[in-house]
Amino acid sequence: MRSAIISFLAGIVMSMPVLAGDTTEPAAEPAVGRSALDSEVQSLRREVVDLNRDLFMLEEDLLFPASTQVAVFVSMDSSTFFALDSVQLKVDDKEVANYLYTAREQDALKRGGVHRLWLGNLKAGEHEVVAFFTGQGTHERDYKRGTTLKVEKSVGAKYVELKISGKVSKLQPEFVVRVWE
Amino acid sequence: MLRKLLILATLACPAFAAPVVELDAIPGLPAVKVQDLHYGDVLFYFYQHDHFDALVRLAAYHDQGRLTSHARDAELLRGGLYLSLGQHREAREIFERLLSDASTPQPVRDQAWYYLGKILYAAGLYEESDRALRHSAGSLAVDQEAERRLLIAQGLLYRKQYEQAIAELSNWDGPRYWLAYGQFNLGVALVRVGQKERGLALLDSVGQLVTKWPELMALRDKANLAIGYAHLQAGEPAAARLALDRVRLAGPQSSKALLGAGWADATAKQYETALLPWQELQGRNLLDAAVQESYLAVPYAYAELGAMAQAVEYYEKAIAAYDAERSRIGESIGAIQSGHLLDAALKAGSDGREGWFGQLADLPESPESRYLYHLLAGNEFQEGLKNYRALDAMAKNLSAWSDSLGAFTDMVETRKQAFAERLPAADARLATVDVATINGRRDALQAEFEAAVAARDIEALATGDERAQLDTLDAVDAELALHPGDSTYDDAREKARLARGVLLWKLDDAWKVRTWQASRALRELNASVYDARTRETASSRAREGAPERTAALGARVQTLSPRVAALAVRVVDAKAGQGRRLADIAIRELEDQRKRLDEYSVQARYALATIYDRATAGAAPAKPTEPAP
Repeated sequence: MRSAIISFLAGIVMSMPVLAGDTTEPAAEPAVGRSALDSEVQSLRREVVDLNRDLFMLEEDLLFPASTQVAVFVSMDSSTFFALDSVQLKVDDKEVANYLYTAREQDALKRGGVHRLWLGNLKAGEHEVVAFFTGQGTHERDYKRGTTLKVEKSVGAKYVELKISGKVSKLQPEFVVRVWE
Repeated sequence: MLRKLLILATLACPAFAAPVVELDAIPGLPAVKVQDLHYGDVLFYFYQHDHFDALVRLAAYHDQGRLTSHARDAELLRGGLYLSLGQHREAREIFERLLSDASTPQPVRDQAWYYLGKILYAAGLYEESDRALRHSAGSLAVDQEAERRLLIAQGLLYRKQYEQAIAELSNWDGPRYWLAYGQFNLGVALVRVGQKERGLALLDSVGQLVTKWPELMALRDKANLAIGYAHLQAGEPAAARLALDRVRLAGPQSSKALLGAGWADATAKQYETALLPWQELQGRNLLDAAVQESYLAVPYAYAELGAMAQAVEYYEKAIAAYDAERSRIGESIGAIQSGHLLDAALKAGSDGREGWFGQLADLPESPESRYLYHLLAGNEFQEGLKNYRALDAMAKNLSAWSDSLGAFTDMVETRKQAFAERLPAADARLATVDVATINGRRDALQAEFEAAVAARDIEALATGDERAQLDTLDAVDAELALHPGDSTYDDAREKARLARGVLLWKLDDAWKVRTWQASRALRELNASVYDARTRETASSRAREGAPERTAALGARVQTLSPRVAALAVRVVDAKAGQGRRLADIAIRELEDQRKRLDEYSVQARYALATIYDRATAGAAPAKPTEPAP
């Protein structure tokens, strides 16, 4: 009796197709056999994404029209030695953003992600943008660096990139500001 | 017993295994140098595994024309994001569109074929998947190439084409991580086609892996469990014990391994040794089928050893444990029927990112959450719970937008009102400014300056004082001209001549500096006039376009509001339906558990009664037979 059980069990162990729960897992049932509820969830997901896209664009057009829109982005070289803790942003001497980065966000920046730090409105003309970066450089040395830029706001949207890059020769972070039209 | 072990085995061990996709749900997307800041913004969310936000931003930036430098990468990423959200139809459409476009570059085509192959595989369309995956060879990253080959082989295994699968997995030279999965699957395939020795040898190589990677440790456990049970089946308890001993005590396979180890010892008639793993199981969660089984196995071993007092004690303990667990299951079923299970399921990982599965194991003990983690072992419940959480997130998202749309409506109304109120004053201010006249005066000044420079008219650049002095000298000269030949005026004439000479000398001396200053002043004037004209144009344009723009925004708000409301209703309905379905699955599963415990309890009582009957009859205590199924 026991050997029959073990035999059966071993057969089951060798024949149960179970895959880890990733995207490559075969569907428990073919798509055509999917229940109405599953199909409704799929359809809702798609519609909610589309709706969010439209709402995202409406919000931006309403709150930050292109004629006055200015966005400040933070990016980082993957090779940089700088571990970014926070960025403080001042526009025309007024603090508009003070952002503390989580470990997950720091990782996303190092892998090529670009953080839209601030999205706001500015009148046409010249504006002063000042950013202070705090974090740690090589040998866990604390850093606080500032960088300043005069931005000429014209009719179209203006994008400013605050880039942190590593200077291999000096083993020091470098803060570069670039204006995109 | 047979049926129970079948259930146990069903829960126990997979034959084929695939690695959980690395932390990036979309592995191997080609690294790109960000050329559009907004594409980088999408990646910022993507790398944080916030796939919903990444997808929304990607779609919005695409429509806003902000991803021009990354059109193909963005499309590939969009397909991948849909794939990670389980939207296979959308993902498939995107990849097929990329492939039908002749201008899609080859590396992007390779990626598209690869992801399309994965989608087809997930849909169980193994032949189509095979074709797509074979197309994708070329420029894939090492891990992707390894996964591609593994998927092809697994597709063959699912189609029971074992020899082809063996051929596909032979001469495997992929990375170690994938190699282990390849070896495991090949081992299973070989055992299936009767090549047990070759198969077990491969499984053994996986079973003896030295690794610190948790996923490979889990695979090693699965391999050892499979080897152990194969040897048990072949009546080789010593070899079975050897493999089962390699399964980690803290891993998810340990209960099954301990149970199997006990059976291996029992097969070798070493009941005392069998008690060790079986008694170890008794301290574990009774919902585990192996643990339930151990409650019967321990007194069975004592009975085999002739220790009837201990056998009785452990059968009574088993009955008490089964009864207590049945009662707890009853409480949980009640809690689930009241809808509390899903509240507990939503408590874990409320940030909507990965990791919430693990957190379910740490929820505080309560009737509604006690079996939640256990229920997730079932694929149907797991997938259902994912959908339920997604629907909950959608409901919150739509609720937040609904609030925002209310504010947007107010904002549009306020703008309309403010525009109407400010318009008269703005018009009045604009009327006082005549930029055209200013522009004409600027042109005249420019012409005057250019004429003076051309004629080197030093007097043209005289200051106000100098101009007055020149005028005075002109008046003096005019007066002197009334007295020609009168020698009494000679001295005055000489002084006037000298004074004019000095003044002209000064003007000539200052000419260079003054022309430069005048030129600069004119340039500044030009800039100011240009600014004034630009502002005047912008003001006019703003004034003229503002009502239309505000109205257009208002219309968009009005169009989107009912869409949000309608979707919110559907999401609430779907969530309720999904909740009911999950509760049904959970109750069905717990009812099965309760029935199984009932059966175990009956078997324990029967065995106990047999022992008591024999003791009462004065006969030598009989060993209870193995419980019947």
